[in-house]
Amino acid sequence: MTARRSLYLKIALSVLAAFALSMAFTWFLHGHLSDNDAHELIGRTFSAVESEISDCVNERLVRQCMAARERLDEGHPDDTASLQDLARELHVTEVSIADEKGDIVRSSVPEYLAAPGKPAFNFAAAGGKAADMMALVDGRETEYCQPFRSNAANGAWRKFVGVWRPSGGFVEIGCDGAALRGLARSSIVDLFRNWRVGGTGGIVVTTPSGLVLSDYAEPNREGTQWTDPGESFYWKRVEIESFPTYVMIPKSAAAVQRDVLVSATAALNGAALVFVALLVGFVISSFVRQQMHAQAARELKMAKDIQRAALPNVFPPFPDETRFDIWAAMDAAKEVGGDFYDFYFTAQDRLLFLVADVSGKGVPGAMFMMRAKTLVKSIAQTGKPLSRVFEEANDALCEGNSSNTFVTVWAGELNILTGHVTYVNAGHNPPVVCRDENAEYLRSRPSLVLGAMPGVKYRVGELQLAPGDAIYLYTDGITEQPNAAGELYGEERLLKTLAGGQPMREALLGTVLDGVRRHAAGVEQADDCTQLAIRYRGEPDVVSWNYLPTMEDLAKATSDLEGALAPVPDRVRNQMLVAADEIFANIVRHSGATKWSLTVEKTRYPDRVRLVTTDDGKAFDPLSIRDPDTMLCAEERAIGGLGILIVKKTMSPVTYRRRNGKNVLSMGKDYGD
Amino acid sequence: MARTSFQWGKTMEIKVKTEGTKMTIAVNGRVDTVTAPELEASFKFGDATCVVLDVEQVPYMSSAGLRLLLTAHKTMLANGGEFQVANVQPAVKDVLDITGFSDILNLI
Repeated sequence: MTARRSLYLKIALSVLAAFALSMAFTWFLHGHLSDNDAHELIGRTFSAVESEISDCVNERLVRQCMAARERLDEGHPDDTASLQDLARELHVTEVSIADEKGDIVRSSVPEYLAAPGKPAFNFAAAGGKAADMMALVDGRETEYCQPFRSNAANGAWRKFVGVWRPSGGFVEIGCDGAALRGLARSSIVDLFRNWRVGGTGGIVVTTPSGLVLSDYAEPNREGTQWTDPGESFYWKRVEIESFPTYVMIPKSAAAVQRDVLVSATAALNGAALVFVALLVGFVISSFVRQQMHAQAARELKMAKDIQRAALPNVFPPFPDETRFDIWAAMDAAKEVGGDFYDFYFTAQDRLLFLVADVSGKGVPGAMFMMRAKTLVKSIAQTGKPLSRVFEEANDALCEGNSSNTFVTVWAGELNILTGHVTYVNAGHNPPVVCRDENAEYLRSRPSLVLGAMPGVKYRVGELQLAPGDAIYLYTDGITEQPNAAGELYGEERLLKTLAGGQPMREALLGTVLDGVRRHAAGVEQADDCTQLAIRYRGEPDVVSWNYLPTMEDLAKATSDLEGALAPVPDRVRNQMLVAADEIFANIVRHSGATKWSLTVEKTRYPDRVRLVTTDDGKAFDPLSIRDPDTMLCAEERAIGGLGILIVKKTMSPVTYRRRNGKNVLSMGKDYGD
Repeated sequence: MARTSFQWGKTMEIKVKTEGTKMTIAVNGRVDTVTAPELEASFKFGDATCVVLDVEQVPYMSSAGLRLLLTAHKTMLANGGEFQVANVQPAVKDVLDITGFSDILNLI
């Protein structure tokens, strides 16, 4: 859990770091971009402002130049002094008259005029901007304005404006900065008042001495001394027509724009990163969960396998035993359960058998189960009476049982010679006793479960089994399996299945389980289903003969056997005689034995014959030889091995043992229903 | 099926009947390690091209008998003749089935 929390913390921190990094970058980028944007905007604004001021100044000076032409056309004298008067009258710096050739013929400025040794100023000859004035002479323009610039004639700063004269040539006026500003200022004052640059920025026009001429801001600063805008503005100063002009944008406006952009980006990035973080977290946690689940499943399966391997699982467990049959099956539910069964001899003639159910599930339940199973077995095998076994096992299980896990057990001890059973029920379901065609629950007052409380005494019950009687033990996984309607399989159904008129046999365990499954009808198995059945068969009818390895004795053995098998139905008897002949022939012809014997053992419930041959010949396990190929055609067939094949196919069980230097071969055969 | 009574010392009865090239050998008694040599001794087919072994009175047969059947079958086959086994009883049929002999022999 802490590992998972720290994983989420790491993801959250990574996401936060990524977010911070991306925001820093966005901030920087937008800051940089807004600087660029502001400068570009200022540049574009200046080209508009420049043409606006020029237009305004040009228009004003053209009007003044036209006034000069009008005065001259009305007959104003054009000598130098008179022209100086006219210039003063019109508030311009100078007035000149040029002829068709571009020569200045009259001027308020004497040095433009022709003098001895020096020609008049000629526009065409002057070249550059001055030559452009010649457009007025050849009729291309009626008026022409030069920009405010350093004069071609004498280097003084002037703005020249010319208008053509219908009578030929043109009139030109020139203004220095002061004259120009004097004429134009009134039309510039309002020019940019309503212009806005970049939202809250604007344009300020000043005089060279720094007085504000035109201002966009409120309150208006016109007439006051100008100071440069400083760090809190993007700004630029350009002198247009001698007017120092400023375009300025408050940085705060750009910052607001940037903040809006960064915030929007932050919101989007944040949302995206949170989404990605959640996705990654989900993917990782589901992957981890899946891995853990797979790991748990593997371990659970291993636990299950170990548990299963601890139970006796080879059937028949005592192949030579004719006094009883025992079968057991455990059908484990999905999880590791706590059910178990067990059986073993506690003395030569006493068989202990039990079924148990541990209260806990999962690994703890499985471990408790292993402990309980081992404890009971180790105590029981000391030969103590059953009640004592339970009392000691209970005390041991109570020690350090902090989880209060307990186990219900039904255990019986069968005297295989007499069929007498003593039993202890430690809180377990009552077993079923099958007698002839009847089946009934063996109800007894149960003692306390094992592991609940130390010092408990266990009551012992007694039961006499007749040959053919059986005891069926089970766990509540059988009776408490629900169907979709929640109805349990129940004791009644179980009893009905067991009392079906058939003697107890191994297949009945499967029949019960099928019945439980049919009842569940698709509902998942709720609990382990564990069953154990033991059938008492009583003392066998045994006869034995000893023989020599001769054909005479072989014939005698066949005859003896035929006599012993008299009550057995023909077909089974014939099968046994064939099988016996194969074994007898082997002993007499191939074993090198000096003597051999035959034992015929007949038991009932079910009817079974067992032949045991013993010989002191060389060790030979007939079951170990390979079966001949029965698919070959006649020409390819050999006769070897056919006898053993017949034995294996017709008899069951067939077992071989080498015991005390003798070959002991046992062949069984069930007959009857 | 009726029980075939068995008496020690009189283990087997064999009746051989020849009609032209057809020979019929009727056996009465079990065929096993003890009796097989006796049956083997009667397997002298001469010029017969068709030999019928009537086993109606054979309650069971062990692999010692099977060996005789296989030998007879192979011999007759090699001489271009025919070997038939007639009236097989259940216990004998079991053994023939288990060993795959039912597929080889001509059972009638």
